[in-house]
Amino acid sequence: MDCKTASELLPLYFDGELDRVSSRELEAHLDGCADCRDVLVGLDTLRTRLRDEASRHAAPELLRARIRKDLAARAATAATPTATFRMPRARWLALAASWVIMFAAGSVFVPAWNQAGAAGDARDQVARDVFAGHWRALAANSPYDVVSTDQHTVKPWFEGKIAVAPAVQDFAAQGFALAGGRIDYVGSARVPVLVYRHGHHVIDVFVLSQNDAPPQGKRIESQGYVMETVMLGSQPAAIVSDMGDVELARFVQLLGSAR
Amino acid sequence: MSSIIDQGFIDDMALRHLDAAYNLGRWLLGNEHEATDAVHDAYLRAVRAATTYAGGNERAWWLAIVRNCCLARLATRNKTKRDIAIDDAPATAERWLPRSEADDVENRIDSAQRQSLVNRHLQELPLNFREVLILREIEELSYREIADVLEMPIGTVMSRLARGRALLQKALAEHATSQVPHGL
Repeated sequence: MDCKTASELLPLYFDGELDRVSSRELEAHLDGCADCRDVLVGLDTLRTRLRDEASRHAAPELLRARIRKDLAARAATAATPTATFRMPRARWLALAASWVIMFAAGSVFVPAWNQAGAAGDARDQVARDVFAGHWRALAANSPYDVVSTDQHTVKPWFEGKIAVAPAVQDFAAQGFALAGGRIDYVGSARVPVLVYRHGHHVIDVFVLSQNDAPPQGKRIESQGYVMETVMLGSQPAAIVSDMGDVELARFVQLLGSAR
Repeated sequence: MSSIIDQGFIDDMALRHLDAAYNLGRWLLGNEHEATDAVHDAYLRAVRAATTYAGGNERAWWLAIVRNCCLARLATRNKTKRDIAIDDAPATAERWLPRSEADDVENRIDSAQRQSLVNRHLQELPLNFREVLILREIEELSYREIADVLEMPIGTVMSRLARGRALLQKALAEHATSQVPHGL
């Protein structure tokens, strides 16, 4: 490696952005080149000075107070229509924690997707498939292949048809009765769908694989139907229905709290 | 209006990265008051835009909003300055106009006596180079994250970072030599 190439790669090496093979080559060059070593020392000196001497301004308490005030004001207006359905704090924290984990996991995989620019497309495709599956089921004679209000019948029915049988739970007591289940396709994958009924509304819960899941907490609307994502035990799931926001929020909460 | 879940997520994220947001704003705008307002604007905008967040790096998404709010403020500040220049009676105009950058420079030079040398030279760098140095060296963002915040290709980030570092090193070195007594 010559000094010209080395000087181009040095900042990347210094910032931890250089791949392993090139790093080894650069290190070999540095061993024999005092000039390039000086450049590296110069970069390090500058960084040390910036981190030690330049101010990192902390957010003033005034700013934090303003944001908390907005937050409280918004919570107050949101509480009026949904007072009984707001998540208890512990539940909320647990959900927040699950997002953090999802993001941590996401940060490992997402850069690869981003570079291909295909991540958004793939996730949009999942949403389209989920909506299409729901509508197709509504148009068919019956939205489910196995009819049962018993979770102990629905879960075993899935076993053997797909790789991982989902956690199935009935919420009849809370007004969301388990009606049955079916197999649907998202992309090229067979996924289990749990069907619930709430009044006249049919609710589909698509249990997705970790790779296919749309971002947690993201809500997509299409032609009066809403898709919301939730963690069903350890598996991400997409809920689709035409329920109102308040009922949907309550159902999301019920599903999310299932063991 | 987005769902309760989105809201909670934005609140959580904004508060978690509030120091990073404020530090960026403070370095871009140069004073505490405007930086506070800009980050507050950014928070309100983020809450409204919660549904447009499509996954990926949350800190980069949030800092991009903060930066846009700061740039919007800088743009109006520059516009105000132009308005003064064409005003026939600048004395009357200045009485009620907000602090312009000209006032700021005086303030800055005044307080710079107490501030460290690095702070002064960093603040004097053109904004393009200053922001990339803040994000890389102080906030420790990766090239990819910086590219997302600045909404530009990674190649541009790399060249600006290199140029910014060179400019700052040069400024600091010149200062150092001017301090050295003759005959040394």
